[in-house]
Amino acid sequence: MNKPHYDREHHVKKATGIGDPQCFKGEAGKPKFNVGDKVRVRDLPDIFYTRTQGYVRGAVATVAEIVYESPPAENESWDNTEVVEWFYSLVFKMTDLWPDYPEYFAKDTVETEIPEHYLEAV
Amino acid sequence: MSDHDDHLHPPAPMVDEVSEFEVLELAVRELAIEKGLFTQEDHDRWTEYMHTLGPLPAARLVAKAWLDPEYKELAVKDGVKASLEVGVDWVSGMPTQFGTPSDYCNLRVLEDTPTLKHVVVCTLCSCYPRPILGQSPEWYRTPNYRRRIVRWPRQVLAEFGLQLPEDVEVRVEDSNQKSRFIVLPVRPEGTEGWSEDQLAEIVTRDVLIGVAVPKPGVTANAKRPVRKAVNPYGH
Amino acid sequence: MTDVNPDYLELDKEMNERALDSSPIELLERIKIEGRVWEELSEEYGVNNPDPPWRVSLESTCDQLAGGYWAPFNVCLPKEERESPSDDKVDAIERRWEEDDLVAKHYADVPFPERQLLALAHTLVRRGIMTEQELAAKMKSVSDRLNMVDGAYEDEELSNPGLANKQGA
Repeated sequence: MNKPHYDREHHVKKATGIGDPQCFKGEAGKPKFNVGDKVRVRDLPDIFYTRTQGYVRGAVATVAEIVYESPPAENESWDNTEVVEWFYSLVFKMTDLWPDYPEYFAKDTVETEIPEHYLEAV
Repeated sequence: MSDHDDHLHPPAPMVDEVSEFEVLELAVRELAIEKGLFTQEDHDRWTEYMHTLGPLPAARLVAKAWLDPEYKELAVKDGVKASLEVGVDWVSGMPTQFGTPSDYCNLRVLEDTPTLKHVVVCTLCSCYPRPILGQSPEWYRTPNYRRRIVRWPRQVLAEFGLQLPEDVEVRVEDSNQKSRFIVLPVRPEGTEGWSEDQLAEIVTRDVLIGVAVPKPGVTANAKRPVRKAVNPYGH
Repeated sequence: MTDVNPDYLELDKEMNERALDSSPIELLERIKIEGRVWEELSEEYGVNNPDPPWRVSLESTCDQLAGGYWAPFNVCLPKEERESPSDDKVDAIERRWEEDDLVAKHYADVPFPERQLLALAHTLVRRGIMTEQELAAKMKSVSDRLNMVDGAYEDEELSNPGLANKQGA
């Protein structure tokens, strides 16, 4: 009986000397959103692993920067690196995240990076 | 670390006692190796690399950026490239030559302004820009800091002795993916005419995380007691 | 991640079975009480280094356990297909969460990094990677070696940075 072969070296070969996420550059096509766009973080189901924090799900943010291309962590943790997407640095207003955040500090924000498939236009 | 002048001084005192913890550390490591979880060679190589890390390169990056507007622009635009000038190669510097489970190769330098103050956290675990900043302090790893800084940032900053006026936007950078972050603070008054070395001295680890601002005369991190998390969020 | 491979759901069951038993471990409880922490030792011996010499090695062990680059969830390999014990690598984020939980539950009064070490040992024992007995036996042999009279482990020192660091860091 042949054991299935798991190519554990695949990522190493691809990223050595180039870096991660640099090694995925050019694989995601055209970004769907632009800097300044308003987006909402979708509350997608994840099994076992996600790096999309609970507290930003459902919240609206502004795209501050289009940062790099990479497979989303939710897939990468399963060794699935085929789908590469754009990552966006998003800025959320504290008052949008926490209803009791004091109004006099309404300028305060949280910035974090979220992959494209989690985002929908507002 | 001041290892450059170590040879000028008599050897530092040593702890001449083997503690149970030291034994436990070695026992856990050796058993893990015996069970094939990793090899002694990989562990040696990694440990040796980790011993070379510390906050000095990041402090130097900030000092250089304060002195050279062009370098500052590069640092904000391409932190990985700017790191090369302070001796940190995010790609080839690591033993793996491409990053590690927690050290990816994307550094972003967050520029503060008089009306914007950045502070860095990793709410999910404890991602930290180790190649340029060394090991994270314990408080950075605790649920207390990680849960509260995104929820009550001004209270947490106040606990570090940093009170900011209302017209300053506090921006909490939650390091959750492949970017790692350091803060490029506003150059403080009273540092006119200072050299790069002098400036780098006041850029402490806490300044680079964003829980402190640089001050002439302050070259060490304040002691921070580690408390239990209150009002925890999530996990 | 909207398409869920049905195989993974099976694994969900296995994952639950592996959910960590966080009851206290006698050996670690004893070390917690009897072990002398760095805070104490460094003060007694007048050493300035804020961290014990083994801290970086511990950190390195945690990194090595997390896998070569990132640790896929190896539990998603069916048991019979795991090729080696290294397929049981402890995922980095899970280990961190367990560290937080175990520290809060058992080791909150122990200073850092001693408590990180206790939590790591706890995780590894409860995940079945090493037994409490194995760990106790290994500690005994390590302790005998470290406390050996001068010279006896000179060669080992060269090949083992853990011992070298003891002098150097």
